[in-house]
Amino acid sequence: MENVRIKSRVLKSNVIMILSTLAALYGIVFLGWILVSIIYHGYEYLNLDFFTKDPVPPGMPGVGGLRMAFIGQFIITTIAAFIGTPIGIMAGIFLAEYGRGTWWAMFIRNLADIVISMPAIVIGAAVYVVLVAPLQSFNGLSGSVALSILSLPYITVATDEMLKLVPKEMREAAYALGAYKHYVIKKVTMRVAKTGILTGVILGLARMAGEAAPLLFTSFNNDHTTFNLLKPMATLTITIFIYATGPYHEWHEQAWAAGFVLTLGVLVAVIIAKYLVHGGSFTAPFMYVARRITKINKG
Amino acid sequence: MSSVIAIESPKIDIRNLNFYYNKSLEPALENINMPIPDKRVTALIGPSGCGKTTLLRCLNRMHDLYPGIKYEGEIIFDNTNILSKSTDLIVLRSRIGMVFQKPTPFPMSIFENVAFGLRLMGINNKTELKDRVEAAIKMAALWDEVGNRLNENAFSLSGGQQQRLVIARAIAVNPEVLLFDEPTSALDPISTAKIEELIIELKKRMAIVIVTHNMQQAARIGDYTAFMYLGKLIEFDKTETIFTNPKEKLTEDYITGRFG
Amino acid sequence: MIELKDSGAISPVSSMKRNGKVGNTLFKIAAFTAAALIPLVVITIFVVLFIEAYPAIKVFGVWHFITSKSWDAVNNHFGAFTPLFGSIYVTIWAFIFAAPISIGVAIFITELAPHWLKPIVTTAIELLAAIPTVIYGMWGLFVLAPFMQNHVEPWILNHLATLPIIGFLFNGPGIGIDTFTTAVILSIMITPFMSSLIKDAFSLVPEVVKESAYGLGATRWEAIRKVVMPYVSSGIFGAGIFAIGRALGETMAVSFVNGNNHNPGSFLDMLSLLNSVTTITVTLADEFTEAESHLYLSALFYIALILLVISFSTLAVAKFIVWRLERRWKT
Repeated sequence: MENVRIKSRVLKSNVIMILSTLAALYGIVFLGWILVSIIYHGYEYLNLDFFTKDPVPPGMPGVGGLRMAFIGQFIITTIAAFIGTPIGIMAGIFLAEYGRGTWWAMFIRNLADIVISMPAIVIGAAVYVVLVAPLQSFNGLSGSVALSILSLPYITVATDEMLKLVPKEMREAAYALGAYKHYVIKKVTMRVAKTGILTGVILGLARMAGEAAPLLFTSFNNDHTTFNLLKPMATLTITIFIYATGPYHEWHEQAWAAGFVLTLGVLVAVIIAKYLVHGGSFTAPFMYVARRITKINKG
Repeated sequence: MSSVIAIESPKIDIRNLNFYYNKSLEPALENINMPIPDKRVTALIGPSGCGKTTLLRCLNRMHDLYPGIKYEGEIIFDNTNILSKSTDLIVLRSRIGMVFQKPTPFPMSIFENVAFGLRLMGINNKTELKDRVEAAIKMAALWDEVGNRLNENAFSLSGGQQQRLVIARAIAVNPEVLLFDEPTSALDPISTAKIEELIIELKKRMAIVIVTHNMQQAARIGDYTAFMYLGKLIEFDKTETIFTNPKEKLTEDYITGRFG
Repeated sequence: MIELKDSGAISPVSSMKRNGKVGNTLFKIAAFTAAALIPLVVITIFVVLFIEAYPAIKVFGVWHFITSKSWDAVNNHFGAFTPLFGSIYVTIWAFIFAAPISIGVAIFITELAPHWLKPIVTTAIELLAAIPTVIYGMWGLFVLAPFMQNHVEPWILNHLATLPIIGFLFNGPGIGIDTFTTAVILSIMITPFMSSLIKDAFSLVPEVVKESAYGLGATRWEAIRKVVMPYVSSGIFGAGIFAIGRALGETMAVSFVNGNNHNPGSFLDMLSLLNSVTTITVTLADEFTEAESHLYLSALFYIALILLVISFSTLAVAKFIVWRLERRWKT
């Protein structure tokens, strides 16, 4: 009898282990399936024209390219990075270095955890009211602002967590030499946490670059290349959205090609981040949050 | 019930010191009265949790980095009470240096580590920096080992070398007092011996206070020894007296290992 | 004894000018301002959405708005029941599909994978998490939806739709653009997050704890179920909440395959996996730039506000629950 019981326990365990293996296989199958689809459909249009020409209107000869989307994506993402990164890092510094044990730092910290999964499209709607409606035109700048708001809590949380990992002896040793706080932060703690923070920033930017929802109501779309931040500006993500749902076969193929470039860009960013910090992963800042969700952060 | 001998013109004089980690809790240090002699090594000994590190960290007000703490009493240094609100901690800490249990090199080159405190003091002249860094490293008996690779990352050094580098960093700014918090507890015996020799050398120039959990170390390098127990100072005397003829029963029990 | 080499050079440092007091204050102000921006931005978003939604709130109220199924732009009557229900329903299915898979992947990576395979699977899962969501959407539209329509859903219609009691879940046109495909896409999108987070939680369990379970004769599954999972239950809970938050707020992955159907028929029809409904995010994405009337736009802001409140309170409540539980354990 005892033998049968043990056998059934072992059997149950083995069945679950096999199911787990299948689950991992399932994940890899989808990754492979998606990547193969992107390459299979996308390679055809990947030529010089694709990057250097604006689109030709449907019905006219030739297909042109998506230059306006590459340039727009670059401009909007770069400006968003310049807004979001310094603010996010400084906010993270404040939480980790100045706010320990205070109620307002605890409040901001928990708020950042919560808004890290704020629906992106809602940010777009709010920015629309503030920066689009008054100007009576969709514009690239509002897209940058929306994306920077999206990345802000992400970068803040990553910085906060990385600074918390700095051993307190390191800080004390610097203070013991008679250093001012900002000097300790700039010269010692930030240096120790540098690579971790950089990883968080790269991943925050990668996530930002891949998000289209906040741009729908802000930078929207443009058929032509523009450098005017107060005019509608195309991006890869919005172009994919519009082209993929459009009626023309060439649009679909170009959407795949754009998807190929976008995915490649984001994956390269992730691999760089992984290389920078051994074990750094795209999900790392989310992991902090998941851990932090399960507790109130006192600091 | 404590026995404290008097010292002539002490470098630091601790008077009726109480210290609280949290205002609502019991004091972590209670009624400490103790002089710190100049140009001598003072060893703080006692069982874990007796408050020896807490006392050490009062001397450069390291506790102030954390919220909720409270001091009572006086610590007189250079005729002023350093516990007063008007004390400039930045200046205080450049006059009273500290070396920690674990080596704490900063993530920068060996040279920049030693130059760190000097730059804080506004020394930016290259030759002056170079001279002072070199002197400090020589003083810390590290020059032979690192003199030719000052631009390497400080983390490339061994544990013992890192600790001597940290000492060089602390003495580069010429402090009047140097605090050691169990500086050798993370080191091997050979590195420990080097640090102890160095401490004996350094006491010619400054007052030294060292917390140690190792009674032999206190006996080897301490000129004076203070025995603490449960947040109170039990006995302060010449090291010789403490180890051969203690006045308090508790001290005797501790040093003879009959403790508890 | 160490010989003193050139000790004379360490002389008292005369210059005590100590630049930096001003810089110190400025830096602190800058850091404080940056941190204060976070609540400021969040409050601004809430306030802006509320102001814009106010006309619709005034006309439709709260209870009427969230229970009315009519979304009628011609007659200017708007009720949010369908998108609200759709957002929650799709998220629930996505979670049901994703949760066991995610736990399986986490178990595989931490317990089963041979040493050489671990980094490969881990990286693959992380790359899956990094793929932009618009790519998931496009892939869903062009690859998964036809696949569902031609291979999966006919089988479901033939075999499951006729089942007693649960048959209603599988009734519908089965054209691939429906709740089922949406939930599958969403589940593929959140699976890497969940499995990565659960894997990280698992890896926090000290080896000794696992070993002591094996030492008592536990099987692998028993060690995981009885020892590892309880040890990191709060981490798994956090991963789940986090995945739900992401699924609720996702626009791009769902907008292609969801169908944006405001008239899904009876409530039973809405529950069917093979029918299409709509979600708040899809309604916003499809209609925001086309809203003609002021009230229409206001209603859209209203559902955006509702989505924000749901997402916000899900995470806030999760934090609060755990906080309360922790306090109870402590006292």
